[in-house]
Amino acid sequence: MNISAAKMFIFFSELMGKPVFDKDSRRIGEIYDLVVKPSQVYPISDGLVIRKGFPNRKYSIVNWLDIEKIDPEGAVIKIQGSALNYFEIHDDKKELTLRRDILDQQVVDTHNHKVIRVNDIQLLIVDHALMIAHVDIGGRGLLRRMGFLKSVDLIVKSFNPKAKYLKNEHLISWKHIQPLTINPVSMTIKIDLPQKNLTNIPAADLGDIFLDLNIIHQIALFKSLNLANKTKIFTNIDFKTQRLLLEESSDQEISELLNNIASDEATDFLEKLPRDKTKHILNLIENKYSKRLSQLLGYSGDSAGGLMTTEYIAIAKDTKVFAALNQIKERKFKSEPAQFIYIIDEANHLINTTNLRRLIMAGPDEPIQNSAFPKTYFVHLDSSVKEVAYLMEKYKYFAIPVVDENNVLQGIITVDDILSQLIAFAWRRLKRIKIIQKT
Amino acid sequence: MKNLKTFWAKILIFLSVMGPGIITANVDNDAGGITTYSVAGAHFGYALIWSFIPIIIALVIIQEMCSRMAVVTGKGLADLIREEFGVRITFYAMTVLVFSNIFNTISEFAGIAASAELFGISKYLLVPLCAIFVWWLIVKGTYKSVEKVFLVACLFYVCYIISGFLSKPDWNLIAKSSIHPNFQFDKAYIFMLIGVVGTTIAPWMQFYQQSSVVEKGIKIENYKYSRLDVIIGAFVVNIIAIFIIIVCANTLFVNGIRIETAKDAALALKPLAGQYCFYLFAFGLLNASVFSACILPLSTAYSVCEGMGWEIGVNRTFKEAPQFYSLYTAIIVIGAAVILIPGVKLVPIMLISQATNGILLPFVLIFMLLLVNNKRLMGKHVNSKFYNFCAILIIVSMILLSLFLFFTVFIK
Repeated sequence: MNISAAKMFIFFSELMGKPVFDKDSRRIGEIYDLVVKPSQVYPISDGLVIRKGFPNRKYSIVNWLDIEKIDPEGAVIKIQGSALNYFEIHDDKKELTLRRDILDQQVVDTHNHKVIRVNDIQLLIVDHALMIAHVDIGGRGLLRRMGFLKSVDLIVKSFNPKAKYLKNEHLISWKHIQPLTINPVSMTIKIDLPQKNLTNIPAADLGDIFLDLNIIHQIALFKSLNLANKTKIFTNIDFKTQRLLLEESSDQEISELLNNIASDEATDFLEKLPRDKTKHILNLIENKYSKRLSQLLGYSGDSAGGLMTTEYIAIAKDTKVFAALNQIKERKFKSEPAQFIYIIDEANHLINTTNLRRLIMAGPDEPIQNSAFPKTYFVHLDSSVKEVAYLMEKYKYFAIPVVDENNVLQGIITVDDILSQLIAFAWRRLKRIKIIQKT
Repeated sequence: MKNLKTFWAKILIFLSVMGPGIITANVDNDAGGITTYSVAGAHFGYALIWSFIPIIIALVIIQEMCSRMAVVTGKGLADLIREEFGVRITFYAMTVLVFSNIFNTISEFAGIAASAELFGISKYLLVPLCAIFVWWLIVKGTYKSVEKVFLVACLFYVCYIISGFLSKPDWNLIAKSSIHPNFQFDKAYIFMLIGVVGTTIAPWMQFYQQSSVVEKGIKIENYKYSRLDVIIGAFVVNIIAIFIIIVCANTLFVNGIRIETAKDAALALKPLAGQYCFYLFAFGLLNASVFSACILPLSTAYSVCEGMGWEIGVNRTFKEAPQFYSLYTAIIVIGAAVILIPGVKLVPIMLISQATNGILLPFVLIFMLLLVNNKRLMGKHVNSKFYNFCAILIIVSMILLSLFLFFTVFIK
């Protein structure tokens, strides 16, 4: 196959609509689409979709091996035009094709954490094939597609030959691009990027990206993700979307998801649901965890009991420091920070508080009691948000323990939970005038 | 008991789904709409009433296609045009949309200027003030909370219905005129007819309606409620339109008063409000104009940026979404500036803008029809044959009317 060697890159828009000739130099149609197959990072050309006829259009796919030449002048294939099969619609469900799935579609830019629309696709010419190198999301891409690029360039050049605009290509490497094509059978997104790319996006940004998608893409993407990414998204979106996603999930998916979400996030969500729905979901979750959740749901939302999470590290008071450190290493946490360690007796009474730094500084054979803070501060289940905030600010705590009337440790409140409450409180008045809305 | 429970559940679902159709309908009754209907009644009496039966059917069919596309694909109309037809066609479609909406926005500011006249305030004061107010409302994100105020103020239209009854029209004649098409091969009549269709089924409505349904996140199971929303909206808008025509026919047409300024149009409310009719009309016109002046530039900027793939949204800064803000601001500035040209005639401007809508409507409808029949997008929810027949009939008749108008204007 011969691709003009003068250029290393070619834009897909330069190929679209160009004539296709068969081996006898007969014009058999025009270049319509490019089928690509995944290969390592950059997908590589696998077939050419030819379109002919108007208004009754017909489509045919030519295997890439049968292509003699392809460049902005057009394509030549090695076989006879009459040997091709034509179809009424170009709708191959398995493959990724540029025109149908990427060009003009919305994709996720995992590098800049945004949902973007593809104006053009830049292909890299590698000896026998074309590789997707970049997607073009800039104004020059738009002009090129409209066919105005050359004339606009000419005008700009005549005014200012060094204009910034002339070199202002806005290209994004394919390795950062996650397409959002939905497989019509499984109704999931074809994820050919490693999910690691999505995992690297901070949870809050991932939630924002998610909210930028339309409802159908949201459901499809959510279904396609692994549990870690699902959890990240679920805890960073609004209640309406959360509810929608759960309605689209199977019971098993719901239970997996909620078992993996920290108890304070889970109760935040559950307490907004109607009672019968909450009950149904609690029944799906692991017995032990659901008991804890329903207990948490019993507390008022703006009391310490309603705010707290039940994920914390509590260690028996006679434990030696090295044993305590080992215990901490073995613990798996859903999301809460683990700087603080609570020292308890056999009946779960809160005795003392210590933190990781203090533990590490203490001798390994000392009892953990020796590393404890001189005084332990705590709040009660019914303490108000204001009291909690006041104590945490006063003693500069990242987390504060919550006890019941018998001084039995119930949970902890972390600074992020308090902060979100306080922000909501401080902005309530502002919000009445300024409703931040999407449109 | 169980039946009662499901009944209430259904009502609840409907309440959560409704909105897009009804809001679109009320925005549709804008300054251009009120003026066009008033002039239609004042100059032609009941001669145009028959057109409302086909218009209601057409409006329901067209708006229903939009909601269906929104629910099935989860995408706005501009999104779909871009994804299915590519950049070039999107660019031309968006140019058409921007063009027609600039005209519409001009007519909204014309409505504001007309109500300024009635209130006895200078338009050089009220028009810029409203322009700044509208711009600020959206950019500061205050719009959503004000929307309800606008909607409540839309109860003003009830005045036309009361006024309609008070003017004691000949109901038999009305019934007769609404069944017997009274078509006249006359330039002014056809211009009026295109205007009436254009103001009732405007191109921007399809984009706006589809985006609002998408935003509501309505699921396919609840689609039937969304359809009900569309139907109610279509009836509301047309019943009001019919009453405006009846009132104007009864108060102005019979007395041979032609509408040259807003003052003449306000006389239609005299049976109800007596000498206060000018203030009542001015209030209604101002509310309708400002309401639509909020929606139109926003919905245009939204659709264009959606189609061209530019950043959207009032929760982004100017630097993040420069095209969005520029377009939005430009439409408001142009709309207000044209009205501030000294000596500009307000009523003709409003009529011309509505006729432009009618002429541009078929282009938008063709795109919609191609999209809604695309099996890959719509699956089993593509149009039925009957539906397509009706839609094609609408497109063909709109094109014929426009061509006829074109010939009568330029050939004779």
